[in-house]
Amino acid sequence: MLSVLSYGRLVARAVIGGLSQTDSRDYSLVTASCGFGKDFRRGILKKGMCYGDDACFIARHRSADVLGVADGVGGWRDYGVDPSQFSGTLMKTCERLVKEGRFVPSNPVGVLTTSYYELLQNKVPLLGSSTACIVILDRQSHRLHTANLGDSGFLVVRGGEVVHRSDEQQHYFNTPFQLSIAPPGAEGAVLSDSPDAADSTSFDVQLGDIILTATDGLFDNMPDYMILQELKKLKNTNYESIQQTARSIAEQAHVLAYDPNYMSPFAQFACDNGLNVRGGKPDDITVLLSIVAEYTD
Amino acid sequence: MLTLLSMFYYICLRRRSRSGTRGEALTSRRAVESGQRAVLPVSVEVEQYAKEVLDFSSHYGSENSMSYTMWNLAGVPNVYPSSGDFTQTAVFRTYGTWWEQCASAPLPFRRTPKGFYSKDYIELGFEEPVYPTAVEVFETYYPGAIVQILACSHNPFTQNPPTDVRWEVLWSGEPTKVLTPQARQFSPKIKHIGFPTNLLRLEVNSSLLDYYTELDAVILRGVKERPMLALYKMPIIDISDLSDSEEELSDVGGPFRQGDGKHQRTGNGYFDKLPYELIQLILSHLTLPDLCRLAQSCKLLHQHCCDPLQYTQLSLQPYWARLSDASLGHLQSRCTLLQRLNLSWTGNRGALTLTGFSSFMKACGLSLVCLEMSCCHFLNEACLEVISQTCPGLQELNLSSCDRLHPQAFTHISKLTRLRRLVLYRTKIEQTAILSIVTFCIELRHLNLGSCVRIEDYDVVASMLATRCRSLCSLDLWRCRNLTDRGLTELVSGCRMLEELDLGWCPTLQSSTGCFQHLARSLPRLRKLFLTANRTVCDSDIEELAASCPCLRHLDILGTRSVSAASLKKLLQSCPQLVLLDVSFCSQIDMRVVQELSGLFPNVAIKKSFTQ
Repeated sequence: MLSVLSYGRLVARAVIGGLSQTDSRDYSLVTASCGFGKDFRRGILKKGMCYGDDACFIARHRSADVLGVADGVGGWRDYGVDPSQFSGTLMKTCERLVKEGRFVPSNPVGVLTTSYYELLQNKVPLLGSSTACIVILDRQSHRLHTANLGDSGFLVVRGGEVVHRSDEQQHYFNTPFQLSIAPPGAEGAVLSDSPDAADSTSFDVQLGDIILTATDGLFDNMPDYMILQELKKLKNTNYESIQQTARSIAEQAHVLAYDPNYMSPFAQFACDNGLNVRGGKPDDITVLLSIVAEYTD
Repeated sequence: MLTLLSMFYYICLRRRSRSGTRGEALTSRRAVESGQRAVLPVSVEVEQYAKEVLDFSSHYGSENSMSYTMWNLAGVPNVYPSSGDFTQTAVFRTYGTWWEQCASAPLPFRRTPKGFYSKDYIELGFEEPVYPTAVEVFETYYPGAIVQILACSHNPFTQNPPTDVRWEVLWSGEPTKVLTPQARQFSPKIKHIGFPTNLLRLEVNSSLLDYYTELDAVILRGVKERPMLALYKMPIIDISDLSDSEEELSDVGGPFRQGDGKHQRTGNGYFDKLPYELIQLILSHLTLPDLCRLAQSCKLLHQHCCDPLQYTQLSLQPYWARLSDASLGHLQSRCTLLQRLNLSWTGNRGALTLTGFSSFMKACGLSLVCLEMSCCHFLNEACLEVISQTCPGLQELNLSSCDRLHPQAFTHISKLTRLRRLVLYRTKIEQTAILSIVTFCIELRHLNLGSCVRIEDYDVVASMLATRCRSLCSLDLWRCRNLTDRGLTELVSGCRMLEELDLGWCPTLQSSTGCFQHLARSLPRLRKLFLTANRTVCDSDIEELAASCPCLRHLDILGTRSVSAASLKKLLQSCPQLVLLDVSFCSQIDMRVVQELSGLFPNVAIKKSFTQ
């Protein structure tokens, strides 16, 4: 009888556990952003959110929370083109698509494709190129849909460990996949990847999962263990503490980027590629830090 | 066993309690909302942005994009209070009088009433029907185009088919010329109406503006309950008011059909002494409703007013809001000599049907030469079949923005072999239909295939045009997806008479293939060339145009980085007839250059748009 009782208790727990697993509550992302431009200009520039040549957006719609980062390729400055114009317009267009509901949460690549197409529809003859990373949380299905093109990326951290992350896409060392619009006549000479080349993943998230989306300025200067250490300090899900953690991560990466003696992940990778490089990698840094929380209006 | 049972009971309890709390929370929230509603006075004003764009006559943007399209007018403002040329706004296809100056433009219809200025329209649906108290339009670039705001009694979001659709003018005015392109919030004083509405229609006329007008958002303010003031207000009696002449137009000829026998008196005073032709001439200056009213005044004038010679041209577009099968039926007997008919914008929401339309066309189609049917959503395949059977002599057909017409319907057009002008802007015509039209209608002079997204290969169409329609004079390929240098080269080699060519937003044309220079050399009569947003247009193209096309009047090279001020100057010097030159977003041409060139060539309108 006793064994039946204890067995029954186990069954009951399992059933209750199962019930709470298939939770019908909606999730949402609480997101804060922080970043630094390469040339020490900090904060928000222009109308959208731009840090140096990086751009990002945070947007929400009825069914989903969407965020994205883009890293404008700086080489265009030599042609007299402002690299942030391309990445900034790309992100602003993504934001509009989301706000107007012209997207399917399970198709983040579609957001990139449509947005890139819209850039070509602009009267302004845009030039430039950019990497891009889009993260969409479907509120109801609790699934995280992502698209990543190039070397920006995201981490999903659960219980202090990285449980899911993006893959870096590079043609060769320090040359990521990129969306681009080339000047006429130079189409062959400029690297240009189709938005369909973006790497797309889906992942089930739980309450309390931390999602860090950032440009290569962060990942090139801070190894995972340092990022995780900073994330440990995050105790609750209110916006202020997320904002504070995002700032401290961005600040630390910014300091490391200008440390000539620090062996950064970038320098490590360069050494692996036969280049003798030391120190951080001075770059624009954009950090979007989000926590999966219960959805409230 | 008992424990198992109790455990199930326990589980059920937990589930119930959980759902219970959720349910309670929901109902309590509902209670709060309804409580608020009850407390609020009934005359509280609701403010809403447009929910959906339902219909429009034209737009600058592409059909499968959101930049510069009419769909941007739904929702909150994207640009306001900034001013400038932004992608997030709603932009119409034309501005100014440039398009009307072209040979491809239709002749204006006689008897168009003085107060009818509308050239384009857009219809907007809102969430909740209200008695409107104010309408606000956010105009963010070159404001002043709005000439009329109307409200409809039909709720576009109900499933019920529209019955007794009424339109009331909330406000109307003349087109204005605002000299600065600065953004403004346009909120005219509107008339109070006796029904709640959630469907507004804005009508615009951009002909006085210096550039494309851009609209950002529309607010409809109104109250849910009928305002008491409106009940006591005397209705304004206005002879030109649409609702007043409504009955007359639909009852046209009604009482006179039976009354003819009763009136035996012949004394018409001095009118009898006037020559028949003179009275006809006087009557030819009247608008259509006036003509119908006059027909009811006396027997003599009735006879004059019903003379088919008064109805060789008939524009029913100004009366779109109240034209029905019945009114067409009444006009039918007088229109036997009809040559030009304008039914644009008419017949929507069930006002015209296949029966009414086909009976009119059978009676009056024989001598018809020109038929304008822009935005006629009542059209279906059967209607086009009727047109092709009843109008053997048709030379002009305009079906622009009939975007609900099935692709199959267009095959009937190829039976109209006398066609000279065909406008298929924003229709779903497909490759096979256009090829068969081009094969059989070899007299085509003017063809508009702008924004026809269903055509798969424009190169094939272009080469067919080159072999069949050698007298083609104007061709509009605005926003065609895939015309390449191959098709363009064949086209200009075959159609040497081309005077107008619109290749705006054709991204697949590459200047490096030399196609634009070949175009300039092949078409010495060229008067209008639009190469809008072709990023590859360069100095050598402009120089070739300057050398080979002395008759050039309109040129648009918006959005190229490779054209310099020097080549533009050369062009302006060698094309003395040039009146329009759009160099917006050409990065080498800054405001200073534009001012300098405008000073040197004062007869040319040099356009330079800006975003900030």
